[in-house]
Amino acid sequence: MPYLLKSLMFRRFGAPAVAAIALSAPLLAHDMWIEPMTFAPQPGEIVGVKLRVGQDLLGDPLPRDPALINQFVVEDSEGRKPLVGRDGGDPAGFLRVPAPGLLVIGYRSNPSKVELAAEKFNQYLKEEGLDAVASVRSSRHETEAKAHEIFSRCAKSLVLSGPANAAQGDRRLGFTLELVAERNPYTLRPGQDLPVRLTYENHPLAGALVVAMNRLNPAEKVTARTDHDGRVRLRLKPGGMWLIKAVHMIQAPAGSDAEWTSFWASLTFASEGN
Amino acid sequence: MRHTWRQLLWFSLVLLLLSGTVRAHEIGTTRVSVAFQDAGMYQVEIVTDATALAEKLEASSGSSLPPGTGADRLLELLKGFDEKFRHRVELAFDGSEVRPEISYSVEPAIDAVSAIAATIHLTGRIPRDARQFTWIYAWTFATYAITAGGATQWLDGGERSIPIPIRTLAPPPTRLATAARYLQLGFTHIVPYGLDHMLFVLGIYLLGRRARSVLLQVSAFTIAHSITLGLSMYGIVSVSPRIVEPMIALSIGYVAIENIFLSELKSWRIALVFAFGLLHGMGFAGALKELGLPRSEFVTALLTFNVGVEAGQLAVIGTAFLFVGWYCARQDWYRDRIVVPASALIAVTAVYWTIQRLSF
Repeated sequence: MPYLLKSLMFRRFGAPAVAAIALSAPLLAHDMWIEPMTFAPQPGEIVGVKLRVGQDLLGDPLPRDPALINQFVVEDSEGRKPLVGRDGGDPAGFLRVPAPGLLVIGYRSNPSKVELAAEKFNQYLKEEGLDAVASVRSSRHETEAKAHEIFSRCAKSLVLSGPANAAQGDRRLGFTLELVAERNPYTLRPGQDLPVRLTYENHPLAGALVVAMNRLNPAEKVTARTDHDGRVRLRLKPGGMWLIKAVHMIQAPAGSDAEWTSFWASLTFASEGN
Repeated sequence: MRHTWRQLLWFSLVLLLLSGTVRAHEIGTTRVSVAFQDAGMYQVEIVTDATALAEKLEASSGSSLPPGTGADRLLELLKGFDEKFRHRVELAFDGSEVRPEISYSVEPAIDAVSAIAATIHLTGRIPRDARQFTWIYAWTFATYAITAGGATQWLDGGERSIPIPIRTLAPPPTRLATAARYLQLGFTHIVPYGLDHMLFVLGIYLLGRRARSVLLQVSAFTIAHSITLGLSMYGIVSVSPRIVEPMIALSIGYVAIENIFLSELKSWRIALVFAFGLLHGMGFAGALKELGLPRSEFVTALLTFNVGVEAGQLAVIGTAFLFVGWYCARQDWYRDRIVVPASALIAVTAVYWTIQRLSF
């Protein structure tokens, strides 16, 4: 496993650097994730699927907004179906579990535009590990300029109904930026790493910061940079809900009224069983 | 699943946002509304997801919220975190922060999947002479709407609102202020705005050379219009302006024409002036209703308006006396050169008004 050499840059921020710090900092870049009302539904059960925006897994409800939804789907062995829901409703969508197995929920948003003050934007680039963008800004002497950014969300969630099956795994939904678990996380045993691949426009994205955090202790982050194949291996403790996330930012296409375009990938699952 | 008012509100707010400048945002479920009340009090209402708020409060003190925490427990927690909650909320008047009274309530979810909503009221007294209000709410990561006086701002968590002007009603005016105001309104209803009433009073004035003539007519007129003004304002008498207004014009014409044929005061003239006074009173009532009367100072306003009208009439008579009474009334030509032409002019104007008012 050659990619291990490059990707094993685990950094663990232990310490009680509690969420209080995150809350008191100016809130710049928020994560967005999918939070099903249960990760272990019964076959036939109707599951409310919440969308959350926040930091350190402290999230605010994101009600269903038809103007923002590009895709809001669930995929299993039988195919892909849209999640139903009422506009303005929280949970934003509902799905019915057709049969035991692993369900892949995906939410792809339409782009939103945001303007950030120079200082905030620089800080955010640092937080999200977007070093390349920071150096471009620096080389263009733009570090003092406010930034206009067009961002969109590529969130996924894995829900397991019935017993875990190693033959069933995460699926690629074709999102612009996508985190794909290369092993069914519900079959992980303690001490095993979860291999995750990050793709951008269906190609592996190298050198991107991937961050994992757990609901039970969101301040303790597991982080790694993707190798040339877009892979990281994450050693995740059992228990609680995990959020894995990555951000990719590129220069906005000419003609758009922004300098930057960003994509926010996330992947949630629970590991209660382990 | 059913549409809740919250969803409808959310949707209408989003439509509002979309109709404005394009500033796409991830809009959450938090809503804030600000009200400035007449008694000099402010009230800010926050409606937000109780669970999400309690999670953040717990996290900020290093603990975590057990999953499935119910409404009652959430309410207890919110109350317990009051001081903590205040740290990330800022209310300021003209830049000076104030400390509100805060009350919390939590409604249970309407069904198993719906969120538990918290309603938080922040209230207090608006500082004296405060002009603007600013607001920060940093307990949300999503964009939220703040409405104040019909205007909506979209803010992100932690973002300071643009200043909201304080539009409280002025403190209720004192009796003296009301009296002064309606005295003035009554006066200006005659001078300069009531040309028809001015001409009527002039018509009365022009009849005789003696003060007694003017005094008797003016008294009759005043008593009469005071009666109908009062009765109309209390709703006891009600005659349509479509009838009253042409009749007022006609009454002016009658008085003026009579001046041409009559040179002395007759008792029936006083009776007629009294009758016309009843008409004019209803006209004054129509005007006063349009101006509006303060409920608390109804009698004060009514009386002072009437006194204002009297003062206006006396001003007209006084001016007339200065210009044509003082010297001219003693001259032989007073009647031929002043009374008759002036009365004729008034009569022509009044006939014109009568036709004009009838045709509307």
